Amino acid sequence: MPLSRREFVKLCMAAGAWMAFKPRFFRFLGEAQAASLPERFVRSTCSPNDTGACGFLAQVVDGRIATLIQAADYPEKEYNPRGCLRGLSMVNLIYGKDRLKYPLIRTGERGKGEFRRATWEEALDFTAKRLKEIMDKYGPEAVAMTVQVGGTGYVHKGAFVRLAALNHWTIHHAYDQNGDLPMFWPMTFGVQTEELESLEWRNARYTMVFGSNILQTRVPDAQHLIYAKHNGKLVVFDPDFCNTAAKADEWVALKPDTDAALGLGLAKVIVDQNLYDREFLQDFTDMPILVREDTGKRLLAGEVKALAAEAAARRIPEYRNLFVIHTPKGFTILDPESLRPTGADLEGEYTVELTDGRLVKVRPVFSLLKELLQDYTLDKVAAITEVPAAQIERIAVEAASNRPVHLIYGASNYQWYHGDLKGRALALIPVLTGSIGQSGGGISTYAGQYKIRFDLSEWWYPKGGKLNWVPYLYFLQGGGKRYPKNGIKAMVGGWGNPFDQHNMANRLKERCLSGDIEFVVTFDFQMTTSCQWSDVVLPATSWYENYELTATILHPYLQLQQPAIRPMFESRTGLWVMRELAKRLNPEWEKYFFPELNEEEAALKVIEVLLATGGPEVQGITLEMLKKGPVRLKLPAPRNRQIPFWKQVHERVPFPPRSYPAPLAATAKFLKSGRIEFYKDEDLFLELKEQLPVHKETFAETEYKLDPGAREKYKLRYVTKNSLYRVHSTHSNNVWLNELQEHRPKVFLNEKDARERGIKTGDLVEIYNNRGKTTCYAVIDPGCRPGTAIFEQGWWARYLGNESYNSLTMPWIKPTHEVYFVPGIWSPNTAWNECLVDVRRVSA
Amino acid sequence: MAQKLGWIVIFALMALGLVAWIFQLQQGLVLTNMRNSYTWGLYIAGLAFFVGNAAGGLVLSSLIYLFGVEHLKPFAKIGALTAFANVSAAMISVLPDLGRPDRIYNLFLHPKISSPLIWDVAVLSLYALLCLVYLYLLMLPDLKGPWARVALKVKNPREFSQKVAKALAPFSLVAAVGIHVITAWIFATQGARDWWHTGVLAPDFVAAALASGTAVVLIVSLVAYGLKEEYRRAYRTMTLIIAGALFVHLFLMYNDIVIHAWYGSAEHLDTLSILFRDYLFAHLFEVVAPLAAVILLLSERVRNHAGAMIASCCLLLAGILVHRFLLMPGAFDKIAFTFTPLGLQKHEWSFPIASGRYDLVLDTFVTKWAYFPSVVETTIFLGVVAFACFVIMAAIRELPIVDRVSP
Amino acid sequence: MRRGMVIDLEKCIGCRSCAVACKQHNGQPAGMWWNRVFTPGSEFHGVPPEKGRMFFLPVHCQHCQNAPCEKVCPVDATYRHADGSILVDFERCIGCRYCMAACPYGVRQFNWEDPSQAMQRYGYQPGYRYGYPRDYRLQGRLVYVPLRPKGVVEKCNFCVHYLALGLEPACVRACPGNARLVGDLDDPQSEISRLIRENNGFTLLPEKGTRPTVFYLPPRRKEV
Repeated sequence: MPLSRREFVKLCMAAGAWMAFKPRFFRFLGEAQAASLPERFVRSTCSPNDTGACGFLAQVVDGRIATLIQAADYPEKEYNPRGCLRGLSMVNLIYGKDRLKYPLIRTGERGKGEFRRATWEEALDFTAKRLKEIMDKYGPEAVAMTVQVGGTGYVHKGAFVRLAALNHWTIHHAYDQNGDLPMFWPMTFGVQTEELESLEWRNARYTMVFGSNILQTRVPDAQHLIYAKHNGKLVVFDPDFCNTAAKADEWVALKPDTDAALGLGLAKVIVDQNLYDREFLQDFTDMPILVREDTGKRLLAGEVKALAAEAAARRIPEYRNLFVIHTPKGFTILDPESLRPTGADLEGEYTVELTDGRLVKVRPVFSLLKELLQDYTLDKVAAITEVPAAQIERIAVEAASNRPVHLIYGASNYQWYHGDLKGRALALIPVLTGSIGQSGGGISTYAGQYKIRFDLSEWWYPKGGKLNWVPYLYFLQGGGKRYPKNGIKAMVGGWGNPFDQHNMANRLKERCLSGDIEFVVTFDFQMTTSCQWSDVVLPATSWYENYELTATILHPYLQLQQPAIRPMFESRTGLWVMRELAKRLNPEWEKYFFPELNEEEAALKVIEVLLATGGPEVQGITLEMLKKGPVRLKLPAPRNRQIPFWKQVHERVPFPPRSYPAPLAATAKFLKSGRIEFYKDEDLFLELKEQLPVHKETFAETEYKLDPGAREKYKLRYVTKNSLYRVHSTHSNNVWLNELQEHRPKVFLNEKDARERGIKTGDLVEIYNNRGKTTCYAVIDPGCRPGTAIFEQGWWARYLGNESYNSLTMPWIKPTHEVYFVPGIWSPNTAWNECLVDVRRVSA
Repeated sequence: MAQKLGWIVIFALMALGLVAWIFQLQQGLVLTNMRNSYTWGLYIAGLAFFVGNAAGGLVLSSLIYLFGVEHLKPFAKIGALTAFANVSAAMISVLPDLGRPDRIYNLFLHPKISSPLIWDVAVLSLYALLCLVYLYLLMLPDLKGPWARVALKVKNPREFSQKVAKALAPFSLVAAVGIHVITAWIFATQGARDWWHTGVLAPDFVAAALASGTAVVLIVSLVAYGLKEEYRRAYRTMTLIIAGALFVHLFLMYNDIVIHAWYGSAEHLDTLSILFRDYLFAHLFEVVAPLAAVILLLSERVRNHAGAMIASCCLLLAGILVHRFLLMPGAFDKIAFTFTPLGLQKHEWSFPIASGRYDLVLDTFVTKWAYFPSVVETTIFLGVVAFACFVIMAAIRELPIVDRVSP
Repeated sequence: MRRGMVIDLEKCIGCRSCAVACKQHNGQPAGMWWNRVFTPGSEFHGVPPEKGRMFFLPVHCQHCQNAPCEKVCPVDATYRHADGSILVDFERCIGCRYCMAACPYGVRQFNWEDPSQAMQRYGYQPGYRYGYPRDYRLQGRLVYVPLRPKGVVEKCNFCVHYLALGLEPACVRACPGNARLVGDLDDPQSEISRLIRENNGFTLLPEKGTRPTVFYLPPRRKEV
């Protein structure tokens, strides 16, 4: 039936009206829906072992984290926002396919990753049973614990240490295990390590970066480096042209491992041209201390006839010695407990009468230094380092004329066999220029969140507990001081991935396959390679699922991790797991872990305990304050700025300051003079002729000594540098970040080296030496120095054809690292870079 | 028998095409081999190809009435028919290229006047209507039986038909040329794509259209009328039109190539290297195939053999199809965002595009994308070709397209 | 008021945090990146094109003033908002991808398949989705939705949904180098106008005549 015109028009109007209102109707509907979505924001702290400790806001919707963005709530606005691509993509790990859901017990062969699901009861019972068996058979020291890394988790990582102490287990210190301990620090400054907070970088007038690729490894702090560049000058010292070198005003392409020579060459220019701070050397360093020419030892006041009586009458702590200086008044005892102006002579040769009547010649350390520096003329240093002499001279003068000078001394630089010599030599620059203890000046390291920032003994070290500290390198070498007499038979690990990251020369995997290691239990939130090699895997919470107290070295803020979501699947916190394990190992021990409180309450309680008992650094800081945002620790410098040695230089308190958790006496004995010491007169240093820092040939005492054929067979130095896309091995399985890397682990080669080996970009290649091998893709890198193979570390073995990239490295131990032992402070440090390899094509 | 087989093949291809499209609607355009750096492929090449054929068909028909080319009169209706079939195929060819064909009403509710695509939608729709009207008018005198009911009641249908056809002829010519100019402007207006952004594109499109459109008419004519002596002259005229149009097309194409090659800017050389290096064989084919076809068509031996003539026309059409396809590699195979970075002397560098492909072996970010139509794309395209053939074949069967008696 | 952005290539450290933040906040599935950062001249990001020279370049929608994408959209799904941003109406887009052919910067992304399927290629635990969770309508037009429909185009929308909440775009908030700044290009006294003036701010592909509202400040180095 045809429509009449009127009806037709009416219909059109109705349709038109409907069309006009329809979108609005849907809009109301849309907004009503949106308003009903429950969402909230929770601030936590991103806490892998990267030194960032950046505050993040998690937006939680329907019980899941929908977005993450930097909290950007640091009181100093210049710090904001911090954060980086890794923290921003954390959801990929929390919700990714490798997330551990339930406790697992191994069914197949070690390393195959075959498990069956178990209840917590079963897994914990089994773990306790195996550990008890091993302890009964081999002694408690046969169980070794590693925790990566203490500074990121005072509560839960502390709980692990607490249990280890109760059990008298062996424990490895992550700092030297990771190779992050720059041994020049305890040797020269008597501390574990010190560094400026990154905000202070802005106050430097001359910034020198040695072996630190800040643009990739200190992403949240790189902005301060660029500020420092425009406020003064930025010089980057690196054999390869890395991102950080690209940002610098000047890039110095020195030959690898020759920084000691460079440091000494720079020092010589500063000394020769009289650009050094004389008073600083007189008052704060060992430069005036007299050294006996016959023994090479420092002259003791008790040996000097004229001073012996006075020396005997003086009361000094047993970790100090009374040394002697020469002033216009003659020979004077140097008071190790005071840094009063000395007016000492820095140079000269004197004859002194000893108590036994002998006459010996003595000279100040500074004279010895000047004598040493004669071997480091500009021409000689230029030949060693392959840096033009004119450039070295100019930089030295520039640095000395533009104070304060700040040296950022990176791990890539000191993770060599002679890393300690390099650090000691480079430390001369901030010392000679008087930049120590100044805003914007000094020498800083920044490797790892190792630093314990206050007294945590109340939680970490229970009464009656004892920890058998054993350097990890001894574990790999199978022997050393304090090594358990029956060896290490069980590994208890948390938050770490040693089967990728510390499997040097493949020893870890071999020991597990041979049955030498009888039990491995790992606590983690993802199925890493180490989990695959474990007998029991326990699922952990991530830092958006628990309360925790964290700190770092890049800035002095104390921050909380807070739960944005409930623990996923059956994961649990470290504190809870340790409590459960504790009560199974010894019912008496449960009470050490607040059994009357649930997981969350217990963690909060521990934080309160830590704040209450932590000492001056946390004075007045409460949990309530931390719940609102980051709180600055109390530090000696004005405005609580993190400026190392402030008290020493401004209040003349003797070196060293305390390095928690060690008592002062443990480390102060490294500086018996109470001052910065370049001259080390322990027997071994004298024997090795390393009493002052010197340049030593690379690989001469390691690779070439072990295998003289290495010179011909393995021509490339193996640099396992940090990647932008990972924090060590965390984020190795991050889907977005792998997408940004073309899904390919890479080795970067110089064009000449690649051509000689018939390798083109994109070729599948094998990096090999006589210890191990790994597979990845070659990329020709114009910035890569000839003779180098750069591999970005942290890839899980499953991405490398199941070969660990660390199977190529070697657990060398330098004897000077064993002169004393204070765990994580004076200890054999891993030398990752001391490694030679070669590369061959596998296929195109 | 051959005819029956033909119908079966046509229906099979159309059915397969439809099924493929439904599958594509379910899974998304991920079933094609296009990605973010290469966003148009066979479907849009098909648009250009079919529009070209459509333009050619009606040009031929209007030439008859405009310039009084009497010996082509028997083929006027075929021209209008093939034009209609091809323009419909053109519009249908675009449908599977749309991510949301269900929203096609937006083209009518919210048209954007500045968009060449809207112009094309408008002109193609109007052109389809025009072809239908033109065809209707041409058929008017012969509408008998059940078709008589829709015939306009006029006194002298034949005279009326001729008069209106003549009146419409100039408009048809303009429209025929117009649709292909507008279709060309879809591409030629785009400054981002160097390969398209040339003044020569529209005239070149028209020249190629004239060649391919006429070839389509020639094929249908040969099939419908056969190689009779009385039509020889007409076929010769069509051949000459094809040849002339082809030479103009090749001239325009190479004119463009020569001036850009001479200037030698890195960008242009890059684009030309895609044509002459990566797609050398395709380029040779798009030039040589139509040339060979024309030479064959002009030759004595082929002229006397209907099958050979049809084959030669198909060769020409294949060449033109490849030509249309080659619109895409030059535009998409390399990245438009290419420049010389600050501070570098010798680097012409492309900023990679996030392709939309996620693969654990291949890269997401690409600077080159080698496109070849996927199985789904090819199936759908063949379905559209089959559709055009179907329209032509059905119309010829049911409607008075072919004059049973010479006029 | 013309909303524009300045990216300081001296402060840009090439960390790609902006690209990751954008991807995360806007729920982009596998293979899709609205924001990309690369090293000009180099095949791989972070590898110098030649020894001694390297800088980084982040690129996303340039929100051009003479945007070819906006002009070619047949259904006005891509349109210019009053403040100059170029936005996509997800309810209207027909997925013809003409805008993608028109854009010289290659910033536009298409949903070749159902995005929730594409997102699952990443292998998340079942039911997990990331991204800002709400729809956002600007004057009735749906310019942000957590999961776009299959078959439509998308790209950087200058975080209009965050602007409405008084927040900066995700990339600006996430940049640890503080290299990005948003402001009013029409105000000669605004911070970004000043930076462009004082630092030789430039745009990308100026010869294409698109007149972007994203300006870059060149990297700098002092005399040695």
